[in-house]
Amino acid sequence: MLWVDKYRPKTLDKVTVHDQVAQNLRKLVSEQDCPHLLFYGPSGSGKKTLILALIKQMFGAGAEKVKMENKTWKIDTGTRTLEIELAMLSSAHHVEMNPSDAGFQDRYVVQEVIKEMAKNRPIDAKGKRAFKVLVLNEVDKLSREAQHSLRRTMEKYSASCRLILCCNSSSKVTEAVRSRCLNVRVNAPSEDQIVQVLEFIGKKENLQLPAGFAARIAKQSNRNLRRAILFFETCKVQQYPFTSNQVAPPLDWEQYVSEIATDILTEQSPKRLYAVRQKFYELLVNCIPPESILKKLLAELLKKLDADLKHEICHWAAHYEHKMRLGSKAIFHLEAFVAKFMSIYKEFLVASFG
Amino acid sequence: MGKRPPVVVLSSSSGEDDGGGRRGPSARRSRTPASAPARSQSQAASGSRKKPRRESSAGRGRRRCSEPAASDSLKAEFDMLSEDFSECFDDLGMSGSIRKTKELWVDKYTPRSLAELAVHKKKVEDVKKWLEEKLMAPKTIRDTNSAKTNLQQTVGGWTLVLTGQTGVGKSATVKAIAADLGADLCEWTTPVPTLWAEHLHANSGLRYISKLEEFENFVEKIRKYAMLRPTSTESKRKLIIILIDDIPVTSGNAAFARLGKCLTGLIQSTQVPTVISLTHYHKSESNDTAMWNSEDLESLLQGAGAHKGTTNFLQIAFNSVTTNSIKKILIRICREEIYDAPEELLHQIAISSGGDIRHAIMSLQYYCLDPRRHSSALATSATRAGSKRRDSLVPRQESYGLSSALPSPCGRDETLTLFHALGKFLHNKRETNCDVDIDLDPFPLKEKLRRNSLKMDVPEKILSQAHGKVRRVTDFLHENVLDFIDDEAVDDAWAVVSYLSEADCLLTGSPFTSYNSENMAQLIAASVAARGVLFGNAHVAPSRWHTIRSPKLWQTEQSFRSNKDQVLKERFDCSSSCGSCNFSDIVTEFRPLERWIGPRNDGPRSSLLPGTGGSLLVDELDADGSHDEEDDDEIEEC
Repeated sequence: MLWVDKYRPKTLDKVTVHDQVAQNLRKLVSEQDCPHLLFYGPSGSGKKTLILALIKQMFGAGAEKVKMENKTWKIDTGTRTLEIELAMLSSAHHVEMNPSDAGFQDRYVVQEVIKEMAKNRPIDAKGKRAFKVLVLNEVDKLSREAQHSLRRTMEKYSASCRLILCCNSSSKVTEAVRSRCLNVRVNAPSEDQIVQVLEFIGKKENLQLPAGFAARIAKQSNRNLRRAILFFETCKVQQYPFTSNQVAPPLDWEQYVSEIATDILTEQSPKRLYAVRQKFYELLVNCIPPESILKKLLAELLKKLDADLKHEICHWAAHYEHKMRLGSKAIFHLEAFVAKFMSIYKEFLVASFG
Repeated sequence: MGKRPPVVVLSSSSGEDDGGGRRGPSARRSRTPASAPARSQSQAASGSRKKPRRESSAGRGRRRCSEPAASDSLKAEFDMLSEDFSECFDDLGMSGSIRKTKELWVDKYTPRSLAELAVHKKKVEDVKKWLEEKLMAPKTIRDTNSAKTNLQQTVGGWTLVLTGQTGVGKSATVKAIAADLGADLCEWTTPVPTLWAEHLHANSGLRYISKLEEFENFVEKIRKYAMLRPTSTESKRKLIIILIDDIPVTSGNAAFARLGKCLTGLIQSTQVPTVISLTHYHKSESNDTAMWNSEDLESLLQGAGAHKGTTNFLQIAFNSVTTNSIKKILIRICREEIYDAPEELLHQIAISSGGDIRHAIMSLQYYCLDPRRHSSALATSATRAGSKRRDSLVPRQESYGLSSALPSPCGRDETLTLFHALGKFLHNKRETNCDVDIDLDPFPLKEKLRRNSLKMDVPEKILSQAHGKVRRVTDFLHENVLDFIDDEAVDDAWAVVSYLSEADCLLTGSPFTSYNSENMAQLIAASVAARGVLFGNAHVAPSRWHTIRSPKLWQTEQSFRSNKDQVLKERFDCSSSCGSCNFSDIVTEFRPLERWIGPRNDGPRSSLLPGTGGSLLVDELDADGSHDEEDDDEIEEC
């Protein structure tokens, strides 16, 4: 079992990083009613941990018996029948799924799942908590249509079904959905908090942490707790006892992106642009999300950039990140950003060095 | 003559007339004058709409009926055109200077001798030589003792396949040569078909026989006939050439397989010179089933021919007729008709026909019917030419070139292949003299936004001619455009790529249900992409040979999908937390570190991703190979 799972707090009481949020959630649930919830925050901040703990708080240990299935949904659209296969985790009380995996058919999935859950509504002997919880991950990746249909079904079946939505950025969730949920912001843990968690794990695992080691990992993890723990475990596997200057191996795709950044900075020409495109393809084939590529690339470029240019480059990165979301072929926009950067940077070089 | 409402003319009756009346000289001669206008109308329609002529007449009839109803504007336009025609042909029947014409010129001036053919001499020579050889050969062989063995060897060597676009004179060549050699031409006369709908709804006792069945019967007959032939007495033996001009249109694999079997049997067993003429449709009309047919048929015929060695099958490809020879023919016709057509007009017709001589003659006749028309057409072309490019270098040539692009009522629409269109955009040919009157422009552009005028049609027109799916066009442009940008011009590269990025957004914005390329947003996207490439590429790299690559993007997307599926499938067995995790987190965080801390697993999984990830991190894999054992231990103890 990975440490990420092993040391995941199972109940709201044990949550350490976002203890304030956890307390509030517990109070909320103990009042027997629970609104729809929308958890948002950067990745690796503990949203999923909170959700799982919350579900356990609501239903007790029964919610931990989870089975995974690949369910095929048969959806009649009127003209034809779609078959969508989607993996889902389910217990007696809740269902968890990633509807955005269904691609552009996501809206059918959302509607259908909620409808079906509403149909076989669990009847509790005591007549309370007669609802199921549906956890939807990556709501921000849902198409606009799917979010609209989500809004309608949310209202229609609110008696029998509670939704817990989880996403990275609430700005990509429509207003209508946001206003129907209680929004819970889960911010990224600070480096100190990460260090605390790492030290806690180290103690449990009986590891000797050299001074500054946890802090270094926390820094490297970029305030992503999951990543920090993964790095920590990797370091342990690589070399134990830890040496004082040990660092976790960089993520390969990040390394690759920084190579691309170096390429871009050394030469600015259409030919180089073409070479960069091939590298982007390599990353995309390996399923690295284009948004992450762009973000990392920008970070790498900014490191080596003159302060005058930073503002403009950031502007264009944002511009093309937006375009990327509007469009469907990420490579077009990634490349446009690189081309723009090359153009600006070349002009800058010519201006400053002749 | 009374067939006034043109829609009536379009009904299946005219199609049948067309289908039946076209074949064979005897049928042609016996046609009454009354049927001529109807036929010409349907033919003109087929010309102007560039429908493949050799569609089955049943299909044609049906389609014609429904098409004008589909859009009113189209109908109106069409009505106008056909009214023009019937009006003109009425004139022709009643009075006027050219009333001696009783026939269509296309028929009247069908080449009767070899000299009249507009086809390239060499091709005619080839066909003639082949036919002569085949016709004369049996006689000599039979006299000798080795006749049988020789015959055995040449079995199957009796087929000639002529390929080429419509109206280049495939059939005409064969007919002329047959006349020249004094051979009888045996054609498959397509019978009047029973429409499937007729068969279904009218209990009139009509039995439905598909074209394919009829064709099979015909082929069967030929084969039997060929068996009988040697028994006939030698002195009376007539020379016979079989011409198969109208291979039935098949749809679906089963029907095609039947046709294939039938043709293969024919090729392998026939002992009479058999000429099969295949019409090549333009590649870009790929939506048309007929075109699919012609390509497949060709390969099928080749397969059949190759079955018994290479010598028994000859294929001659006809190129489209050159403008000059079309012009020559037109001039000859004009002379015989005593009609004084200006040379410019002939040139225009010859160019706009696109190498289709039948079409050229049709248009000539149409123009000659009404003298006012051609003058007006020329006038508009002249004014256009004048207004657009007064400063052109060679005025005469230039005006020719422009007038070919004019929307003349009889012009044949040109089609372009996708690659041709791409080439136009990528090479970005522009006028070199930049001293166009800038000052006269009421809205002068900044220097850096100004471009020389294009040496091509409007990009939108090229796009519509290329019939390309917009998505495909943008992908191709994206893949290839960087090769064509000057190596110093990063700014241009940015401009181009940013326009492509806009086009992508537009394409995505359009609802995904409408895949037809006629969608407005799609058209705009295509226009943005094409014009963006043209505009952005201000410093074209010096022209040199580039191969156009197929977009690597497609390959990438495909392997992306398969990788994603794999990751999703596997995510539940790598760790329970992975299972509930976002896809992006798995890929960016769990997968890269899995090599160290993943569950103990078989070797290959430890590389980044199956198949593709190897190149990314091969070097690092070697480095961590030594850690594998302790890795396993650690995990187990957890």
